[in-house]
Amino acid sequence: MVESPVQGNGQSPPEMAPQATEEAEVQGRLGLARDAEQARRALLNRPRFSVRLQIFLGNALAFFIAIAIAIALVASFQRMESKIRFLEIVNDYVMEVEQARRFEKNFFLYGTNLSDAQDNVFKAENILSRNAEELADIMGTGWREQMLPNLHRYQQLLEKLGQQPQGEQALSKKERLRVQSQVRAQGQQMVSAALGLLSKEKTALTEVLTRSRQLLFYSVGLLLLCMGLNAYLLGSRMLSSIGRFGQYANRIASGDFTPLTPTRRYRDEFTELALAINSMIEELEKREAVLVQSHKMRAVGTLTAGVAHELNNPMNNITLTAHMLQEDYADLDDEERLEMIDDVVGEASRAKKIISNLLDFARESGSQLEPLDLPELLRETIALASNQIKLSGIKIDFQTSGNLPRVHGDSQQLRQVFLNLILNAIDASSKGGHIQVLVLPADEPNYLAVKVMDSGSGIPAHILPSIFDPFFTTKGKGKGTGLGLSVSQGIVAKHGGRIMVSSQEGQGATFTVVLPVTTIPAELGAKR
Amino acid sequence: MPLIIVSADDFKQGDEISQKVAGTLGYRYLGRDLLHYVATENQVSEEELARALDEAPGLLTRRARRQRLLGLIEAACLNVLLDDNVVCFGLAAHMYVRAVSHALKVRIINEPEQRAEELAKAEGLSVDKARKQVLRQTKEERRWSEEAYNLDQTDASLYDMVISLGTLELDKAVEIISDTVGYRKFQPMTYSRKLMQDKALAANVRRELMGQFPEIRVEANDGTVVVFIQSLKKDQRKKQELVRQIAGGLPGVRHVEVHIIRDLVGQAAQSSR
Amino acid sequence: MSDNLQVLLLDDEPIVGRRLKPALAKIGCEVDVFEDPELALAKMAQKEYDVVVTDIRMDQIDGMQVLEFVRERWPRSKVIMITGYAMMSLAREAMEKGAFDFIAKPFKPDDLRRVIAKAAHALGSDIDFEAVEVEKANG
Repeated sequence: MVESPVQGNGQSPPEMAPQATEEAEVQGRLGLARDAEQARRALLNRPRFSVRLQIFLGNALAFFIAIAIAIALVASFQRMESKIRFLEIVNDYVMEVEQARRFEKNFFLYGTNLSDAQDNVFKAENILSRNAEELADIMGTGWREQMLPNLHRYQQLLEKLGQQPQGEQALSKKERLRVQSQVRAQGQQMVSAALGLLSKEKTALTEVLTRSRQLLFYSVGLLLLCMGLNAYLLGSRMLSSIGRFGQYANRIASGDFTPLTPTRRYRDEFTELALAINSMIEELEKREAVLVQSHKMRAVGTLTAGVAHELNNPMNNITLTAHMLQEDYADLDDEERLEMIDDVVGEASRAKKIISNLLDFARESGSQLEPLDLPELLRETIALASNQIKLSGIKIDFQTSGNLPRVHGDSQQLRQVFLNLILNAIDASSKGGHIQVLVLPADEPNYLAVKVMDSGSGIPAHILPSIFDPFFTTKGKGKGTGLGLSVSQGIVAKHGGRIMVSSQEGQGATFTVVLPVTTIPAELGAKR
Repeated sequence: MPLIIVSADDFKQGDEISQKVAGTLGYRYLGRDLLHYVATENQVSEEELARALDEAPGLLTRRARRQRLLGLIEAACLNVLLDDNVVCFGLAAHMYVRAVSHALKVRIINEPEQRAEELAKAEGLSVDKARKQVLRQTKEERRWSEEAYNLDQTDASLYDMVISLGTLELDKAVEIISDTVGYRKFQPMTYSRKLMQDKALAANVRRELMGQFPEIRVEANDGTVVVFIQSLKKDQRKKQELVRQIAGGLPGVRHVEVHIIRDLVGQAAQSSR
Repeated sequence: MSDNLQVLLLDDEPIVGRRLKPALAKIGCEVDVFEDPELALAKMAQKEYDVVVTDIRMDQIDGMQVLEFVRERWPRSKVIMITGYAMMSLAREAMEKGAFDFIAKPFKPDDLRRVIAKAAHALGSDIDFEAVEVEKANG
């Protein structure tokens, strides 16, 4: 027989990061219902740092940086604006003064335009006085002392020049020349002072511009950095949460119904998701229990018909005995009568045993973990199915190596699994067929294997991967629910074991259930 | 000697065959005349009884009423069938006499094409229309039996023998049936007679209880009667008492068990051949 | 050759034989009880019984095989099948193979007695079943 093992999924789920060691639990333990309430409290008992808050903070920071940049820029612009205004004013002033000097030159050359020059000087002064505020802004309140004296002196000199050459107050040529050079000098000084101012402010303006540009670059850079950092933190936070939940989903899908416990130091929206998933897990667990029970009931239904037949014999014995006792009461002696009554009692208890076997199997029971003797369990299960076996004309052969260690599990549920496999084997075999049940140590250490082998028609290769799927059945409508193997697989997975099948068409099938041996007793029952 | 139960897709043919077989074998013929007796005994009309047997209940007919009528017919019929050597037709016996090994169940059918032709001729329809009508009739038959007994009476696997009157003529069919009757497998046995008695007892008990409990199922075994009724939790006790009272007084009933069940139809469908 | 009806009773439940032997003795039957089909067959190979009562489902040898054996070897004998697994197909199969009658467990001693009386009647040697009835009515 070619081994084409298909595994029922019973692999150990990935370990979750424990918040504290006391909350980590060994996977594969059956039925230790985690305190869901405990998980819930632990999840909620942390400071809240929501994703929304992080987004908000990030945006707020970016916002503030942007505002700061804007404010800085606006301030810069204002300064630049006033500097430019100043430059304009001084420029105008310089133009007037230069115009005055041109007229001054004209006067020296041609003796005309002195009044024009004076006009310009007058305009220049106007310019200054008109823009007193702006000048004060840049140069301070002492601007007058800076600018005006020169101008006034020039003005005075020009006036002096304007005096008529005739008369007593007429200036001598020598004096005249002196005044002329004074005027020139003064004019020169004025212009250069103004130009000096101009250039000073230009430099200052350039500096301000440069600084603004730098500020802009750096702060935009800072802004981008902050936004990038925030995006990265936010992203990695969400992605890690999502990844974690992906792992949880896989874990749950593999049949692990332990509730989610905290893994970070704060809680957020994902915590709500975790809480929702925890309640889903509880629901799943409940439904699985219902599924297991309903599948069991179906098995009970199958067995009941057999049990009813099995009861016929004790009932018949009781009927015959009681009737004969009735008929011959007077004629029998005490010993005979007692013997008949003994028979009745014996048969009644035989009937009771047949029924209680079934009832024991059928009763609803909470999971009870205990060390189990697998060979004994198998024998009991075979006894349960004894009627189907007799009815179907199949021989069942049970073998076990002695001295096998015990297996930790729920006897009810494991019985259900083995019964399912045996009933399947019976269904697969035809009259006269042969079923073998073996219990032996598994290939891996610390595991036991139970093999149920039938000599039926086998399972075709294309069906083999699907047989553990829920609701998959090859039986006709109304005959199989398709629940048996998937429920059995779930039970075995919860025990930390797995079910495997190997089959070839025409050569029957072998189902192997591998279960872990009990570990040190002290460890058991500690987690409740 | 076995019981012969005939079912046919054409009433007249079924009737004729059954009477002829009875004549040939010297058996009693049990047919629609029984309805007269049932009608008188139970104060219902013969027409209503016949309708219950022929038509699936429409919107106006209450299911409970129809089931009651059928129950009356069933009880009366089974009581007669307790004797052997009866040919029964037209009383739906093939629906409720099941798992009895000495009942030879025969279904008489016609080829649909032939039926369509005859129908077309008889009623002046086009062959196409007639064909459609034949299909409809078959569907009606099926519906009736599924509605009343949760079985499809057109399903061949319900019968021991299906005779098609396409090639085999009616008289030949009579001959075939009469010959098969001698087959050992159809001889009554203590066991199968007991089954008939149980069925008759159950039907009688059911007849008495049906008035009060329209949805009811009764099984009997050797004088022990198990009754399945539907009930709300609060009425349970009262109803159980009532059933015990009524059923307990009937002849042949030694012990009464009452069970409350929720899904009667589903349960009934599962009890096997 | 006794006048009594020679009956062989084969059932793997010991109590059945224990109780039915006296029960049938009352209506004039001489009953040989067997629990092992092999032994019963061995005995029947040599002795002709009037009536053979056998269980249908036994572990090693099927009741049907016993029926076939008896019909083959002693065609005159009436075979009565007892069964706990009553199914119509089984009943018909038994009838076809030549069983005289078929009863289902659980049954009362009287049920079997009635059937044996029927078998005896079919054999032409009626037994006094009423005797028992009268006794019961009196006792």
